[in-house]
Amino acid sequence: MAWKLDNPLHTMTSEDQNQKAVELWEAESLGGITEDNNRLPQPVLGLLVLTIITAFLITFPLWGQRPHAAMYEEYIQLMDSPEVKDLPDDKAMQFIVDKVKASNSKWSALQERHPLEMDDLRMIKDQVVELQKQGARLDEYTIVGNKVVIANFEGNFIDDKGTTRRERVQPWWDKGYTIDIVFILVFCVAVMIAVKRLPPFTFKPDHGKHH
Amino acid sequence: MAFREYKIGARMFGLAFGTSMFITLYMPAVDISNVSVTATGLHRQLSFGRMGGFGYEDMLLQGINKPVSVVIKTDPQSGAAIEPTRAYVYEAGVPFPNGLRHPRILGKGPEALSMSKGRISESSESNGAVFIVREVEQNGEMVPYIENATAVRGWAPSATLAKVSEADRYHVGKGKIMFVREGCWWCHTLLPEETQDWQYFGAPPMLGDFNGENPTAFGSDRKAPDLTHVGSRNSSREWMTLHFFNPRLVQPHSIMPRYDYLWGDVDANGNKINFKDWYASYDEYSAGKRVYPPEVPEPSKDSEARALIDFVLNLK
Amino acid sequence: MFKYLFAKNEDIPAGAAAVFFGFSAIVWFIVGTGLGSFNAAKLAFPDFIYGVEMLAFGHMRQVHVLAVILGWISMAFAMAMMYITPALGNTKLWSEKLGVWNCFLWNVGLALGLFLLWMGVTSGREYSDLPWFIDLVVIFGVLFPLGLNVWMTIKTRRTQGIYTTNWFFGAATFMVMIVFLVGNSPEFFSLTGLTEAYLTWWFAHNVLGLWITPVAAAISYYIVPKVTGNPLYSHRIGHLHFWSVVVFYSTPAAHHLMSAPLPEWLKSFASVEGVLILVPAIAFVSNLLLTMTGKWKMFVENVEIKFTISGVLMAIPLNMQGGFQQTRAINWYIHGTGWIVAHAHLALLGFSTFLEAAAVYYGLQTLLRRKLYSLALANFHFWMLLIGFTTYWISMTIAGLIQGAGKIYEVPYIDVVIAEHPYMIARWVGGTMVFLGNCVWLFNMWKTARAGTVIPAGRLPHELAYER
Repeated sequence: MAWKLDNPLHTMTSEDQNQKAVELWEAESLGGITEDNNRLPQPVLGLLVLTIITAFLITFPLWGQRPHAAMYEEYIQLMDSPEVKDLPDDKAMQFIVDKVKASNSKWSALQERHPLEMDDLRMIKDQVVELQKQGARLDEYTIVGNKVVIANFEGNFIDDKGTTRRERVQPWWDKGYTIDIVFILVFCVAVMIAVKRLPPFTFKPDHGKHH
Repeated sequence: MAFREYKIGARMFGLAFGTSMFITLYMPAVDISNVSVTATGLHRQLSFGRMGGFGYEDMLLQGINKPVSVVIKTDPQSGAAIEPTRAYVYEAGVPFPNGLRHPRILGKGPEALSMSKGRISESSESNGAVFIVREVEQNGEMVPYIENATAVRGWAPSATLAKVSEADRYHVGKGKIMFVREGCWWCHTLLPEETQDWQYFGAPPMLGDFNGENPTAFGSDRKAPDLTHVGSRNSSREWMTLHFFNPRLVQPHSIMPRYDYLWGDVDANGNKINFKDWYASYDEYSAGKRVYPPEVPEPSKDSEARALIDFVLNLK
Repeated sequence: MFKYLFAKNEDIPAGAAAVFFGFSAIVWFIVGTGLGSFNAAKLAFPDFIYGVEMLAFGHMRQVHVLAVILGWISMAFAMAMMYITPALGNTKLWSEKLGVWNCFLWNVGLALGLFLLWMGVTSGREYSDLPWFIDLVVIFGVLFPLGLNVWMTIKTRRTQGIYTTNWFFGAATFMVMIVFLVGNSPEFFSLTGLTEAYLTWWFAHNVLGLWITPVAAAISYYIVPKVTGNPLYSHRIGHLHFWSVVVFYSTPAAHHLMSAPLPEWLKSFASVEGVLILVPAIAFVSNLLLTMTGKWKMFVENVEIKFTISGVLMAIPLNMQGGFQQTRAINWYIHGTGWIVAHAHLALLGFSTFLEAAAVYYGLQTLLRRKLYSLALANFHFWMLLIGFTTYWISMTIAGLIQGAGKIYEVPYIDVVIAEHPYMIARWVGGTMVFLGNCVWLFNMWKTARAGTVIPAGRLPHELAYER
């Protein structure tokens, strides 16, 4: 069980232990099967690193988001503005959309993905205004047909007026990602130790030696 | 761990596997069990009974030993007219759902209220009981709880059932068994998706909507519409009857199987159902030789078809 | 078989248990795919058979799934373990008698369980449909004796080393027992709500990830070096593969419920881990394909390598799908559609079946010491499986994309059903081809046992494949 840490990426085992492993490796045939000692090809290693990075990037809640009340807040505010009031519905909607777009809304991507008509806006307007009065967080409410209802996401714990509750949004970061990072790091270290305790990959077993 | 050191390898395996199990079993279990039940969750478990699949009370999944959901319009105790109230009648010997057996799974608020105000600890399976779902305001929030109406209002199970007309009884517990046994959930999911299909199939459930229910039978392969809120979309018993007997009577392109065998031998009037004749007439109808399809028999009140229709109509 | 149940252990010829398991597996494969074809016919032609409760789709769908998983796939695994584990330790199976009893109880228990399921006696939980008392039979009557035989055979080996295949066999037989015990706990202890739903999918995920995938991969770790005569490309990559299966394949269970109201942290965790199943997949595929170096002509000439390498190649699309379809970015589109059905068949009928078929072909020939009765029929079997499966997979993938679009744009559901109809017919055709191919396979193996050319001592079956 001797460790050699002067060149850990080459081998982490002492010379005599490596020698023993090499002898055993070449002497033994397991049911007629032998094993080589090649390293993981470097392109494949690159692929593994890419996989780990992609795993995080693709898990963030980017696509498939339902329309929530917050993204229509600006639309609803503009509904009562004097420019809009006298226009026919389709022109009014166009005006609102263009104006909000020009104002670099935080929700412009979602607004583009979930367009709606003036009639839709009228159906949800009162409910959204009511929620605003209550001081609710609008991005926690989803539009279902003509109703505005609380979303069913079980997000991170937040402090809400003295009580702790889960926020009803898909979070960008939560303890799941943190556990993932720890998990992956421990895995990488453990497997690297396991592999580097073997004879270095420069050793090519000679399978013709003993049988 | 060097070359062929199996003792260390075995320990590393134990550690790795154990850590995985800790994260994927223990941590979620703590989170999920801390969630309080919603009113929907109470209604669901009270209407389904203890098990919706195989259980000792119903080994062959015939739908026996299940509660009956009723709508009460007159107080069974005093006979006075009351607001129509949804109640769940557990006759003597019918096993209680898990929320009553282990009130802890209801979550803190509902558990405490069910014990104090609802007096559920005074109920027993051997005597049966009638339950209703109530809500009270606590700290600005509505908290639901189970009320043991037998103790609180003196509604005995048999007296309650006697006061309820046939039209106000729903065999939802038995119907859930049919839903599971007949494999409805292989094609119809019971879970509108969190980020999709809200407009069409309705709002998806909250985490607390399922405490006390087993199996949840969400389904995974949606070959047909989601049924979580089907009773709100379509409340026609007549349509359901036709559709279960032969889906192509109401939807020519449907690929749903016919569930006519759930009618049993006789219809609601006690007449024997002649399936052979029915099939022959239907074949003539679908070949265009008849203008109207044959009459669909009305299911008898104890039939499995009736229970399944009751279940579906009560998915709201 | 029955005469060996009460024979002395030393009187039972070596390999008897493996041969019984091999033939049982093929028979269950025919039963399972036959049921699959029947079910598919009902989806394509809903009035195909009606009015009989026992022949209704809802009564037969789960019988198809479990006949294939616990009958075909798991019995082929048992067969492979019964002959590969001792071979790699230069020893005999620890107890041939236990193996024969294992096979007998397995067939009886599975037949009983599936009959009950067929009658409608179900727990109502996908993949763990069997009622809990049958689960106990499976755990203690089927999986434990199998594991015991494997562990004791490894323990009594005559080599110092344990080859990679046996790491997987030893670990997977242990893990699958834990998976059955924990995954069925909602039935044992009547757990409810999202706990029940989560454990249902915890079971379904882990039975795939900690049993079917690693054992199938382990089989190819034996077949490829053995038949090609090449050394395994890398012992080191074997480490990476094994440890990443244990760590990354055991964690993403929650990704099956991405659209349910589970805690979001659990979904984030499971989703990242879910993409990381590509780590064992990449290690596995690269190790096996590099082992083939210099022997690629055997991919054409040799039936075992043809099956194995096809299976290994199918692991690439399988894991690309499996890794990415569960993430938030993609899952919302294809969740609950035929895409998933196609993916499940790519895992079980594509990837894993092809690897097991190779093990059964190779094992029966070596154990019976008889050459294949007909190489032509074996090739016919291969192409029936491959073309049948591909037809199925492509048609269901397209159907799934249609369903997904229907879901996103909230199209009335009946329009989706109408649009899917041609693909339902194609699915039935593909499934039926697989079923017919398997009937030919049983005939071929039966004739091999009865009338195959005897293989002389010291030769391997594939060396004689083209000799008369």
